[in-house]
Amino acid sequence: MRPIMLQGHTRALTQVKYNSDGDLLLTVAKDKVANLWYAHNGERVGTYEGHEGALWSIDCNKPTTLVVTGSADNTARLWHAETGKQLHVWEFPTAVKRVEFSRDDRHVLMVTEERMGHKSGIYVFAVDSGSPAQSNEPVAVIRPSPSKATVASWSYLDRYIVAGHEDGSLALYDWKYEEPAMRATAHDAGITDIQMWKDGTYFITSSRDKTARLFETSSLNPLKVYKADTSLNSAALTPTQELVILGGGQAASEVTTTSSRQGKFESRFYHKIFEDEVGRVKGHFGPINTIAVQPDGKAYASGGEDGYVRVHHFDPDYYKFKYDY
Amino acid sequence: MSKTSWADEVDEQVLPEREVISNADGTKTIAEYRLNDDGKVVKLTRRVREKVVQEHVNRAVADRKKWAKFGQEERSPAGPQQSTTTVGEAVWLKLSQYAAQQKQMEQEAMEQEKAAAIKSSRIRCRICRQEHFTAKCPYKDTLVPLEEITGTAAAGASGDAAPGAAAARASETKNSYVPPHLRAGGRAGAGPSSAFDSLGERRDDLPKIRITNLSEYTQDEDVKNLCRAFGPVSHVYLATDRETRMCRGFAFVTFYDTDSAKKAIEKLSGYGYDHLILSAEWAAPR
Repeated sequence: MRPIMLQGHTRALTQVKYNSDGDLLLTVAKDKVANLWYAHNGERVGTYEGHEGALWSIDCNKPTTLVVTGSADNTARLWHAETGKQLHVWEFPTAVKRVEFSRDDRHVLMVTEERMGHKSGIYVFAVDSGSPAQSNEPVAVIRPSPSKATVASWSYLDRYIVAGHEDGSLALYDWKYEEPAMRATAHDAGITDIQMWKDGTYFITSSRDKTARLFETSSLNPLKVYKADTSLNSAALTPTQELVILGGGQAASEVTTTSSRQGKFESRFYHKIFEDEVGRVKGHFGPINTIAVQPDGKAYASGGEDGYVRVHHFDPDYYKFKYDY
Repeated sequence: MSKTSWADEVDEQVLPEREVISNADGTKTIAEYRLNDDGKVVKLTRRVREKVVQEHVNRAVADRKKWAKFGQEERSPAGPQQSTTTVGEAVWLKLSQYAAQQKQMEQEAMEQEKAAAIKSSRIRCRICRQEHFTAKCPYKDTLVPLEEITGTAAAGASGDAAPGAAAARASETKNSYVPPHLRAGGRAGAGPSSAFDSLGERRDDLPKIRITNLSEYTQDEDVKNLCRAFGPVSHVYLATDRETRMCRGFAFVTFYDTDSAKKAIEKLSGYGYDHLILSAEWAAPR
């Protein structure tokens, strides 16, 4: 397969995300703009401009009318997807590390950084797609403790918010009551990514402890472990084949201080059920920071520390792969 | 007269329009003109066959395909722009349930290669002269090399004793500093045995060497044993700590004759003794 390389960013990518139909790709990086691309040919449709700091996270609602971004300039912003017009700004005491629309598109969650005496928080705001004005008053604020939250995602039916923490633990928050419903230790090091299965009943986490793990949402029971030989920044589930895609690599700051061994900047494919590594895709010149799979399972995109997004459309061979057992 | 300058004319140069010619076999020839990096006009001719592929997408997706570009792309024409979108080199994803095993085999092969590379390079053990690191020498702990050295030392000593060798040595050392006790003038014609006789009571004039980098567990007796192999030893002074009685890392050894001292310096410099590498030199004159 020949990857499409998207060069819309000048700094390291932080998140790539497909919209629900899989025809558009949203990307954010540590430069100040968010990009919107056509997924099938890599054409850049437009840019969302207005942030004054690095962008950490992006998401859009199901009909792809609204886009939300979270940034290190201590704001989260709402955009009109089609025109790139800024609709609303939410202000926070610290950087916004993760944003996500709820499954019913009526809420959006925002995970904020712990910094300068301000505790980390998971904020839930109501989003009204019909009116231009949005509420600045959060519907709920969860204060994760003892460790700060790094990533979060909505569970099935928006019942809970699942959050991954800096100390490697997972928690299920009953967000309407702003309290944890369940806690579990999951990883030995910070959780870097969390991606839900399409119905929200299970999810995959990646961590700096060099593993990715699959958990059941309702009980936080560990289901599977995928062991890699490098710290992982992202993990994604493929909807058609029973595979997971992991991305990571030595942190950029450590590349020159370690031996001359290669940095392991490859996307790794593992079998979802048997936990075996089944393939790799090379390409990035730096660690892979984020991976997203197109919702129809025909392509995946990876964003690296090198500033490139690579969109891979799978070859016919990919669909023929069967695991013997 | 409204004549414009020649410089303006260049600026006003208009690129010819794009030409599209339909060929008989259903292909199209597209001729485009553009400026290259040197500012020259180049004609780019492409022959393409257009194939219409119908793709069914849902209405929302079809609508989004008509979105106008915005932000930094506001003025860009339709279609992917070369500045942001390129096609990368082909990569292969070979899914195989044995991928992990293959990877392991590759790694092993790499390690073997590395080991072979090390073997072929010039690594030589100081002890046994074989091709491995001194630290990995199987004879490291058994003092085999010492015997080896003393063997050669003894042979060398007997060889040097032959007449004429001294003269040759004198000519060798002509250009370098010669300590007083070695100078031909000081002890003209004095053989080793005569030195023993006449200077036995004056240790200061005997050849003295300094051995450094000894381990702290070294004893007087050890140094004596080490040096006895090179020739008769008059005296050994091992510097010890006053309180702990441990070796301070150096020793002075006085020989009865110059040849032995010289041989000892030669052989003991770089000799691995008790996990340390010794260095030996002439003791500084007092």
